[in-house]
Amino acid sequence: MRVSPAQGAAERQPGRDAAGLLFAAEMYGLQLDHLAAVLGVGEARARSVAARWRGQRHAESARLGPGGPWTWVTRAGLATCGLPYTAGPPALGRLAHIRAVTAVRLALEAAPGYAAGGGYWRSERRLRARMGGRVGLRQHIPDGEVHWPDGTAVPWAGECWAIEAELTPKTTSRTLAIMRELLTRTGDYGCPAAEIVAAGPPRHARVIYLCAPAARRTVAKARESLGSSGARIEIRLLPPGAAMPAPTRHKAARERSAAALPPAATPPLHRGAAPPAATPPLHRGAAPSAATPPFHRGAAP
Amino acid sequence: MIGRWLSLIAVRAALRATGRVLRIAIIAALIIAAAPASVVAAIGAVLAWLRGWPPARLYRAALWCLPMVAVWLAATAIASRSASVAAGTPYHAWLSLWHGTHPASAADIAAIAPLAIPVGLAAGGLAWAYRIRSMRTGTAGLSPDAAVSFDLRQWRHQARSARARIAAPGAIPLTSRNGSLVAGAVIRSVNHPGGPIASIPYSRMRSHQVVIGTTGTGKTTLLLRLWAGFMATALRRHAAGQGRLPLLVVLDCKGGADARRIADRARRAMRLAGARSTAIWPDEASLSLWALPPAQLTTTLVDLIEHGTGAAAFYADVMEAVVALAVEAPGGPPASAADFLARLDPGWLTTAYSSGEHEAELALIRSAARQAGDIALRFRTLLRRLGGGLDGPGGFGDADAWYCILEGTAEISVAEAQARAIVDILASYATAGSRDREILLAVDEFSAVSRRLPVWQLYERARSLGLAVQVSAQSWEGLAAGDDERYRIAATADGGIWLLRTPHPEPVAALAGSRKITETTRHLTGRTPVWDHRGTSRVTLDPVVDPALIRTLDVGQAAYIFRGGVTYVQVKRLVTAPAAVSPATAVAPPTPPAPLAEPTSAKPAIPAKPATASRQLPDASSLLDEAFGAEPAP
Repeated sequence: MRVSPAQGAAERQPGRDAAGLLFAAEMYGLQLDHLAAVLGVGEARARSVAARWRGQRHAESARLGPGGPWTWVTRAGLATCGLPYTAGPPALGRLAHIRAVTAVRLALEAAPGYAAGGGYWRSERRLRARMGGRVGLRQHIPDGEVHWPDGTAVPWAGECWAIEAELTPKTTSRTLAIMRELLTRTGDYGCPAAEIVAAGPPRHARVIYLCAPAARRTVAKARESLGSSGARIEIRLLPPGAAMPAPTRHKAARERSAAALPPAATPPLHRGAAPPAATPPLHRGAAPSAATPPFHRGAAP
Repeated sequence: MIGRWLSLIAVRAALRATGRVLRIAIIAALIIAAAPASVVAAIGAVLAWLRGWPPARLYRAALWCLPMVAVWLAATAIASRSASVAAGTPYHAWLSLWHGTHPASAADIAAIAPLAIPVGLAAGGLAWAYRIRSMRTGTAGLSPDAAVSFDLRQWRHQARSARARIAAPGAIPLTSRNGSLVAGAVIRSVNHPGGPIASIPYSRMRSHQVVIGTTGTGKTTLLLRLWAGFMATALRRHAAGQGRLPLLVVLDCKGGADARRIADRARRAMRLAGARSTAIWPDEASLSLWALPPAQLTTTLVDLIEHGTGAAAFYADVMEAVVALAVEAPGGPPASAADFLARLDPGWLTTAYSSGEHEAELALIRSAARQAGDIALRFRTLLRRLGGGLDGPGGFGDADAWYCILEGTAEISVAEAQARAIVDILASYATAGSRDREILLAVDEFSAVSRRLPVWQLYERARSLGLAVQVSAQSWEGLAAGDDERYRIAATADGGIWLLRTPHPEPVAALAGSRKITETTRHLTGRTPVWDHRGTSRVTLDPVVDPALIRTLDVGQAAYIFRGGVTYVQVKRLVTAPAAVSPATAVAPPTPPAPLAEPTSAKPAIPAKPATASRQLPDASSLLDEAFGAEPAP
């Protein structure tokens, strides 16, 4: 029987394949370049993997916006992953935001300190699923949480961070309100009220804002308004691969664009001088060991 | 002759006694014959008496049993393949109960139960309704005070049932399925539809309401529930495309630490209801007086200053002219208090109007130059006392709910000016292109600060702006300054009146009107206070709301008066989310006003929770720099 290259790769590295599917499920969907980065392969190989997922009815792909096609996990795929989410393609209005959050996650997980601290990314989709239908109409859910388990060597061990990706500026008062909620929240999302301790320590030790240049000023202004609490807010710029590619109409223009922006098309997993092939893959679960926990843990902390 | 008459009397008495015994015997026979149903009826009536249920509840229970009867008959018809057999099944089940084993077997009881339960419940309901009606009309009871005792006992039973209902987890939601606001459990209703849950349609929250109750009667709990219900319902309607976004503005005119505790509870209640942000003014948020349209700003600023009549009217005119010149200067209206004060200077005004097209204004400036210094001094004093809460930045559009604390007890004149300014800002917000919000303005003890803006004027103004106003006070007297004003407010409360325990409920109770009842007078027999069987009945008018009952209401009990009816409610306390701010912040006294030269610093920042503030966070910038690069320069 003839085996396709993608099938061959999957058979060689089944953990990586599963990690990619879980990653796509957690993030609502992935664009092709991000999928390639998650799988640690080139875009052509990532396309094949997506096609195989489609064949297995685990995922769907379509070109939803500018840039490469998006891949999202179907109901059957979610059931295979054991994730209780509502299946569906990423909302068109949220594509840019989803892409930005994915880029943030990829950039953070590619940093050596992330693996050293045993960080765990808890996605917005998971938080919303925990809330069930009880999310208030204007209640704010962070774009992600990063949990740092106790007992690791990093100084921030035991903390929980809220991640916020800001593409467009909100009003200062709205940003301020979001910051206040994130900084003062004590209970987990969707936990029983009895488990919430009103006077307990805040849930989020710090809030990490990743901003587009246009939104940075508003976020900084809101942080200043918080006074001493503002020290728990970190502001950084979004990583380069976070922005949606500009829409191109012609194949030649797309090729020119791809040729002109190779770094932007690849998420900054491989920050530094090392070539992509030499960098460690994102999914550390491919080679599990006692010291390195798998990329996707079965249950939320 | 006498003997015959006596014998006739004796025969009549004997016949009457025989008839009575016969009637009792027939009724007893019927009850025994219908034993399964009569047992259910007795249980139902006793339960209704114990729990204070209205008869309608037993009727409803009987109706809900009808599907069971239908299924039973259908199953019998299918099993026997004969409709006639199914029709005769109840009779045969009854027969087998009586002719079967003694005592009746479980199978016999189970066979008759599908029919006996609904019939018994309906019979119990009828019996209970008859008992209530006869006690209400005074035709039942052995002693003259039986009706009163019965009513008091029933009130106790009804209140106990309502308390049990609100204590059951999940029994009282914030809003009902049809979008009504749920206030609690019904204790008793008069001229209102009955039901276990006390709910009011959302439209009532879009009309004026009045809440009266003394301290410690559960007024705040009721208000928080109404506000949260308003917010939740309005947000749901907005999400469904049926309404605009809600905006709740609360003016707490008492101030002090209590107001801050309530503000914190309100914030948590609002969060529970789905509101994203609640601003607490002036502790944590500020409004901008300077965002008012120039003409309105002039009027508001002039009204904030106290000025007399008679000879002082001249001074008021000069002040208005100077303020108008400062506000409507060619360069645009002032942006802050400091900006405004800087303009109250003849030199500044002359420069501003020196373009050559404002000769009339320049003449006015020259004539008012002598008073400009005094005017500036008065405004400097006023604005310093008002603090930074009105100096911006911020507006009502920044939050879903605003809790404004006015120090009406400690600093009445300041609170009066603040109330006037806030109402003007809200009115401007409601009219100036911001009709995309459904606004509820709740004012508590507004009469304490209403010298410059009478409540009835606020009422009328709000009505014209499409705002709903909810006025709450501790007593009828606290509602407004004069009786005319009070009646005007209470009589125009289209959304209803909430009456909690208060020592003088008569004026409000009278607004509910009266109802026709049948009053029966009966003769007493002998010297013991026991009724005879003779008497007369007549139709009379009885007040719908009993003021004596209002005076005895317990904590958390309220009477909701609406359109000639009243529903007594056991209010369900909101179980809110954890505190959004630390207790220290919630009860912190207001910060002193900042100097006018630095208006932005007047907005205090929320202090962090002590647990976090005291702990120095470890530096995580190494990881963040690795992942995202260094923090961008401002």
